[in-house]
Amino acid sequence: MVTCQAQDWNGLSPNPARMADIPDRIVLRRHLELRSWAFFRPIRYALLGLIGTFLVLGLFNVYGQNPQTITATSAKADLELYAPDRVRGGLLYEARFTITAHQKLNHVVLRLQSGWAESQQMNTIEPSPIAQTSRNGDLLFTLGAIAKGQKYTLYIEFQVNPTNVGRRSADVALYEGSERILTIERMLKVFP
Amino acid sequence: MDIVFRAVFIFFVLYLLMRIIGRRELSSLEPFDLILLVVLGDAVQQGLTQDDYSLTGALLAIGTIAMLQLGVSYANFRFPRLRPLLDGEPIVVVRDGKPIERNLRRERVTLDDLTSAMRQQNIAHIGEVQWAVMETSGAISFIKKSGSS
Repeated sequence: MVTCQAQDWNGLSPNPARMADIPDRIVLRRHLELRSWAFFRPIRYALLGLIGTFLVLGLFNVYGQNPQTITATSAKADLELYAPDRVRGGLLYEARFTITAHQKLNHVVLRLQSGWAESQQMNTIEPSPIAQTSRNGDLLFTLGAIAKGQKYTLYIEFQVNPTNVGRRSADVALYEGSERILTIERMLKVFP
Repeated sequence: MDIVFRAVFIFFVLYLLMRIIGRRELSSLEPFDLILLVVLGDAVQQGLTQDDYSLTGALLAIGTIAMLQLGVSYANFRFPRLRPLLDGEPIVVVRDGKPIERNLRRERVTLDDLTSAMRQQNIAHIGEVQWAVMETSGAISFIKKSGSS
């Protein structure tokens, strides 16, 4: 019969005296009574709580994808932007720009700050603008004329490059010719 | 380069998850668990390589994971004090023919699970068991009483 008195290898506490037939390396105080920091449950609960919190935050759109509506108003026109301001790498999403003219606009230009194009694929722009150009790194879309009381909606489909992580300024400005009518200031946050 | 960082991050997140979900889930591989394993692998792959379809990317990802696994197993071998953290500890679930309810409950092992594991070891009655130990892998090992056939 083998007794297990000498199980103090590598810091394991020995078993009580006269304890026979205990498997090697099993220490009752530790593996039966579970008196060890390794069995300290609050650590496990804290980690589970951390994971749960992460998931709940995801449900509340903290990590993006859900679109937000931002509206800017002026005497000449309104601009409504419907797009997510928090996205993740690889995500496909749509940005919708709706312009409502309160008076006839002859030469409408939509200006998107460079953050819109930075490491993002622009898959589709519908309807196609009359002209597209760049000014100081920003994108300019010439949309043409909009009659009084009419709405013009521009759809742009994006895909976020996976390496595009961080915050970028993605303002939108509406021009009538060279006159700036209104601006929507926003930040685009890209999660990994 | 970021594929290496992603692989490191995912490795440690998976390691942590496997440690905290408990060994019971690791030991039983029911058909549904097998499906979950495939789904988990697919979800991890998306985050790991993302849109990188290159051979280089795949080599970087699997190379990083292999090196980390080697590092963890070396740390486990070299530093005994880390073993409870990295591998966990065995838990005694039966002593002298009597199930230890508290330890079974802790690992969410029912008496049915226990007797099923016993039957797989050709043990019909719990009274024949001197010690049953739930190993860090989730498997239960049984030591019969002296004289039990």
